[in-house]
Amino acid sequence: MGSPIDAFVERMARGLAHRVSRRSFLGNIGALLFSTGVPLLPVARGASPTPARPDPAADPGDPQTCEYWRHCAIDGFLCACCGGSIHSCPPGTEASAVTWVGTCHNPADGHDYIVSYNDCCGKSQCGRCLCNRNEDDKPLYMPFKSNDYNWCAGSKVGISYHCSTARVVGVAR
Amino acid sequence: MKHGTFRAAVFAMAASAIAMQLRAAQPVELTPPVQANYMLNCMGCHLADGSGASGKVPSVRGSMLILSRSTAGRRYLVQVPGAAQSPLSDLELAQVLSWMVRNLSARAVPADFTDFTAAEVAEYRRSPLVNVRETRARLLAAAADRAAR
Repeated sequence: MGSPIDAFVERMARGLAHRVSRRSFLGNIGALLFSTGVPLLPVARGASPTPARPDPAADPGDPQTCEYWRHCAIDGFLCACCGGSIHSCPPGTEASAVTWVGTCHNPADGHDYIVSYNDCCGKSQCGRCLCNRNEDDKPLYMPFKSNDYNWCAGSKVGISYHCSTARVVGVAR
Repeated sequence: MKHGTFRAAVFAMAASAIAMQLRAAQPVELTPPVQANYMLNCMGCHLADGSGASGKVPSVRGSMLILSRSTAGRRYLVQVPGAAQSPLSDLELAQVLSWMVRNLSARAVPADFTDFTAAEVAEYRRSPLVNVRETRARLLAAAADRAAR
C-alpha cells in the first residue's frame, strides 16, 4: 500500500496525462530547458577542483601571451597557443593530475587567485609561446613548489611534455 | 495543470536562471584560508579530493583517519616530508592536517576525533622521518591488527 504522498503524486500525474498531449508536454519541456540554459550537449566535464573563475569582465589580458596575469608563475609552452586553452589540453594530450599550484595577482579586481599549472602530456613539446615567469617559484629541492619539475612524471600517458595550462581553482585573498 | 500555470512555472525557472547568472557576476568568494593552504601546499600531488596518484602519491582518503587515531600515526602524519618541510607554520600545518582528516576522509569522522594542535606539530616536526613507506605500511598494518581484535 502506497503512502499518501505516493497517492497524491499519482493523482497529479494521471490528471496531467489526461489534460496535456505528449507533443505539448515535450514542447514545453524543450522551452523549459532552453530558457534555463540547461546544457544539452554531452560535454565531458572531468573531475577538477572547484572552479572559481573570475568574472570574464574582470579577467584582463590575452591568454595567448606570457604577460597574461594567470601566467605569473608558469614555465613552459602556453596551451592556449597549442590548440588547447588556459584550462584545457590540446587534442591528443592528457593533463597530468599532479601539478604545482601557486597564486597570481589579478590587477583588475585586486585578488590573488590560486592557479593550478597542470601540464599536458603524451606528445612532444608544442614549441609555441614559450613563457618562463617564476613568481614564488622554489628550487627543485622543494618539488611541490617548483615549476622546473616535469609534472608529466605523474601522468598516465608518459613523461612527454607538450604544454601547460593555468587553471584558476580558488581565491587566496 | 493549465497551460498558463505551466508557462508561469517556465517563467519562474527562467527568472531564477537569470538570477543565478547575475549572482555569478558578484564579487568572488574567497577560499577558506585552511583550504587555500591545502591547495597551495598539498593539492598539487594529493589532488583536490586527496586521492593522489596510484603508485606515485598515496591516497589520504582511507589512511589519514586511521593513522590519526594513534600517537605513532599522528607523529607520522606530521613528520612525512611534504608536511614537515612545508612552509606552513606549526599552527597552519595543524589546521591543514585536521582539515584533511575532516574533509578528505572517505569515511565519516567519529565525534571523538581530536584535532591536531600547534604544540603537537612542534613536538613531532623537528625529528626527521626515514623510511617513509615502510613506516606508513607498518602503522597501517598495526591499525588493521587492532581493528581485527
